[in-house]
Amino acid sequence: MSAVPATWRPRWLTVVGVLAVVTTAFTVWLGLWVTPPDVVQGNLARLLYVHPAVATVALYWAGGVACAGSLLYLWPRTRSFFWDRLAASAVEVGAVFSALTLVTGSLWGRPVWGVWWTWDARLTSTALLLLLEIGYLALRRVPADPHIRARRCAVAALLVAIDVPIVHFSVDWWNTLHQGGTILDPGFELHVHGSMLWTMLLSFVAFSLIFVWLLAVRYRIEVLEDAVGDQELEVSLAERWSEDTELVGAGSGTGGSTPGGSAP
Amino acid sequence: MSYVDAGYAAAFGGLFLYAVTLVLRRRRWERALRMSEVPAVEADDAAAHGERS
Repeated sequence: MSAVPATWRPRWLTVVGVLAVVTTAFTVWLGLWVTPPDVVQGNLARLLYVHPAVATVALYWAGGVACAGSLLYLWPRTRSFFWDRLAASAVEVGAVFSALTLVTGSLWGRPVWGVWWTWDARLTSTALLLLLEIGYLALRRVPADPHIRARRCAVAALLVAIDVPIVHFSVDWWNTLHQGGTILDPGFELHVHGSMLWTMLLSFVAFSLIFVWLLAVRYRIEVLEDAVGDQELEVSLAERWSEDTELVGAGSGTGGSTPGGSAP
Repeated sequence: MSYVDAGYAAAFGGLFLYAVTLVLRRRRWERALRMSEVPAVEADDAAAHGERS
């Protein structure tokens, strides 16, 4: 029997899922109907209740979990497949959030900047992040011994993580079309106020809860994949063992019909 | 459809679709695990039988 239960529905995951749905519904309601239009951007500012939160999850939450998980796997004292699976799950969920960051950013950039895309440092480094995440996921599908695959992927995740500070500081290091900090400037002065600020903060909570839920479900799939792989290996070995013992039994019963007299 | 509507639809629709695919993948792997456990027990029995004979 497998040590992994066939069904896994913990109460905390249900609570996180319900909270994610509730906070998301409030974010949409506040963002689309309650908050006032911006003085400069008009209704387009409503996209800022989605895009920065999605980008934050893609960059810091997913990138942070992937980096921490990979480091903890590579560190001999904490080496465990738990960290490898967690990092892999974070990279896949992060890739989805990175793609949505680019899509929602383009939908905001087209009416505000006049272009869907420009080779701006922030946009280019975010696109590079998505490509690196896709590369990581491709590397993970290459068949290999589980330990070799985990070590290889941990190193790849650290390469992905190198891009995270580049994306973060890109608006400071280069002259970019993309704005600087959305909520705080480098002097920690607030740019957003009142209901717009609360809606924006709520959107960060909502997307963070969505991330936790997706990460937990994705992690569960990693565990199941490994468990099924182990079971199949056990079945194959048991079948092979059974065939071998039957051959030995048949060989000894007939006075040794195998070329060497007996099977090795 | 305005850019704002498209942005909300893309973000929440994309995440909803991804969540659905994750749930379906989880269900498929849980079924695969249940299926693999049955032959594993049979294979163990077969191996034990082979050892005895």
